[in-house]
Amino acid sequence: MTVPPENTGADGEITYLEAIRSALEDAMRDDERVFLLGEDIGGLGGAFGATAGLLDVFGEERVLDTPIAEEGFVGAAIGAAWMGERPVVELQFADFVTCPFDVIVTVAAKTHWRSGQPIPLVIRMPTGGGVRGGPFHAGSPEGWFVGQPGLKVVCPGTVGDAYGLLRAAIDDPDPVLVFEHKGLYRRLRGPCPAPGSRTPLCVADVARTGGDATVVTYGSGVTTALAAVERLGADVEVLDLRTVWPVDTAAVLGSVEKTSRLLVLQEAARSTGAAGHVLSLVARVGFELLDAPPVLHAPPDTPVPFAPELEDAYLPSVESTAAELERLLAY
Amino acid sequence: MPTDPCLDLASVDAPTRIALYRLVLLQRLFEERALALYRQGRIPGSFYDGRGQEAVAAAAGLALGPDDVICPLNRELAAHFARGVSVAHAFRNFLGKGDSPTRGRDGNMHFGLPACGVFPLVSMLGDLASVTVGAALAFRRRSEPRVALTFLGEGAFSVGDTHEALGLASVWQVPAVFVLQRNQFSYSTPLARQSPNPVLAERIRGGWSIPCVTVDGTDALAALDAVRRAVEHARDGAGPQAVEAVTLRIHGHAAHDDARYVPEELRAAYATRDPVARLEGRLRQDGVGDDALDDVRRDAAAAVADGLADAERSPAPDPATLEDGVWAAPPPA
Repeated sequence: MTVPPENTGADGEITYLEAIRSALEDAMRDDERVFLLGEDIGGLGGAFGATAGLLDVFGEERVLDTPIAEEGFVGAAIGAAWMGERPVVELQFADFVTCPFDVIVTVAAKTHWRSGQPIPLVIRMPTGGGVRGGPFHAGSPEGWFVGQPGLKVVCPGTVGDAYGLLRAAIDDPDPVLVFEHKGLYRRLRGPCPAPGSRTPLCVADVARTGGDATVVTYGSGVTTALAAVERLGADVEVLDLRTVWPVDTAAVLGSVEKTSRLLVLQEAARSTGAAGHVLSLVARVGFELLDAPPVLHAPPDTPVPFAPELEDAYLPSVESTAAELERLLAY
Repeated sequence: MPTDPCLDLASVDAPTRIALYRLVLLQRLFEERALALYRQGRIPGSFYDGRGQEAVAAAAGLALGPDDVICPLNRELAAHFARGVSVAHAFRNFLGKGDSPTRGRDGNMHFGLPACGVFPLVSMLGDLASVTVGAALAFRRRSEPRVALTFLGEGAFSVGDTHEALGLASVWQVPAVFVLQRNQFSYSTPLARQSPNPVLAERIRGGWSIPCVTVDGTDALAALDAVRRAVEHARDGAGPQAVEAVTLRIHGHAAHDDARYVPEELRAAYATRDPVARLEGRLRQDGVGDDALDDVRRDAAAAVADGLADAERSPAPDPATLEDGVWAAPPPA
C-alpha cells in the first residue's frame, strides 16, 4: 500500500517494529527454547532493527547470525524444531523466501501430516512495498503459501497484532509464516500491547463495523481500508483477516451476510495473495448473499516497480480504495 | 572369482559382526521380497532399493547411540532397522497401510519414525542435510551429548542445499555426521558428469574444513569403524564429521530402471564385492560355522516373512481420515 504518513502518536504508543521486537524479547524470556536465526540479526540487530539489542540480552546461543544460506538455515530451524526447540527465523526480505521455498513446502509443511511430528517453526519476513524497493525488495509473496496444507500464514495489520500474532505463532506447534509489512515498521503506531497478550491464529478481526459493504483485507490494507471508509463517511465494515491461510471463512461469510457487498483489498498482485481464495469462497458458498458483483482492488499482475511514479500507480491507495468502494456502494 | 572377505578390524567385536550380518541380511531379504511384491502389483507406486549399499546403511545405524537421531535417504533400510523400526512397520509403508508410519499418506522408503529418532525422508535431495544440522544445533545448544547423522549420495552432493548445510555445520561446529554413499550414479548420470573431482572427501575436507575419510562401502566392518569414529568425534565436541563410502548401486534408480548404462567393467569390478557375501566371508574366517550362519539367515528370513504377514493383516487407510493431521493445531472448525 502507499504508506501512511508518519504518525506521531500519543504518549505510550509504540511502533509496529517495536511491538515485534518486544514480542521476540518477551517470548525469549518466557521460553528458553526460543532462539533466533537469520542474516545480520545479531550485532547489527537486523536489516530493519527488529532484533536490535537482543544479542546483548540473550547472547550468541540464542541470536545466531547466519551466512547467506536461506535454504540451509531454514532447514536447520526445521531440524531444531524437530528436536523440540522453538526457532524463529528472520528472512531479510520476504522476496527472499524464494530461496528456502523448497524446505518450507517440502519439509516444514508436510512433515506433521506424513509422520505426526510437529514442526513448531516461525519465519518472519519484511514484506510489501511503498519503500521504493523494486522487484526484489517490495513483493508480497504470501499468496504462494495460501492453500498450502500444513502452513499457517499471518499478516499483521496493527501494532497489537504485530505483537500478539507473533507471540501466538511462536506458541503454535505448526510452521507459521509471519509477513511483517516493512512500510508499517516505523510509520504505524498504536497502543502498547499488554505484555504476554496473544492474537489468536486463524481468527479474523472486525476492525470497523458497518452495514452497507464489507472490505476484506489484511496487512497494510487495514489502515488503507479504514482511512478510505473514513474519507467516504460510509457505513462499511472492515474485516482484517490477520491469518490469510487458513482463512476464517465464517467471519468472511458472516460479514457478507450482513452487508451483501464485498470488496477485497490486498497489496499483492491481483492474481496472487489471498483474494482469489476469499472470492472463490464467497462465489461458491455466499453467492446468494450478494447484491453486487464482488470487487477486487489489488495491483496489476506485474512485479513491484521501482520508480515512484510507477509504484504509486501500482499500489492501492486510500483514494483508489475509496473510489472502488463508492462504485461498489452505487451498484 | 572369489569374494574378498571384509578386513579383520579389531575394533569390531564378534557380537557386533553378527549384528551387522543380521542387519545387512534383513535389508537384502526385505528388499528382495518387496521387489517381488512390487512386480506382482501388490506394492503401489515406485520401488527403490539399496542393493550393494546395505553395509553402509547397517554400519551407520549401528554406530549411533540410543539417543542419537538419523535422517536416512531411500537406500538405507538397514539403518531404520538398527534404530528399532520393525520389519512389519516398514512393510506397512510399502503396502500403504492405514497404520503405517505415514498412515498411507506416503509410500516405499518415504517414511521415518520420529519415536525411533528417524526423520521421515523427503525426495528433494539436500533438504535433510540442513535438517540434520538443525537437530545437531539443538544438541549443541542444550549441551546434550547427542549426534545427528544423515546420508548423501554423490547426486545430493551436486545440490546447493547440501553445501549450505555443510557450511552451516562447519561454521556452527555442531555434532552432525554426514555419510556419503558414492554409489557411482545419480539415476543414469555417472560421477564424472557430476563432479570434476571424483573423491568427494577431498571436496568436503578442502571446501568445508570437515574431516572426511574414504572407506570401501562394501566392507561392513570398515564402514562401521569409520562411522563409529566420526560419531564419537562429533559427540566429543570435535564438530561435524563425514565419511565417504564407495559402493556401486547394483540395481537401477528404481525398479523400472534396468541400469543398462552401467559399464560392464564397473559391474565386473563389483561382482566380487557384494557386501553381504563379504561379511559372510569374514564371519567364516572368524570361525563362525555353517550352523551359526544358517541360524542368522533363518532368523532374518523369518523376521521378513513374519513382518510381511503382520503388515498384510493391517487395515487399509480410511479415506475419511484423509484430512486428519494436516496441522498439529487445526484451525477452529
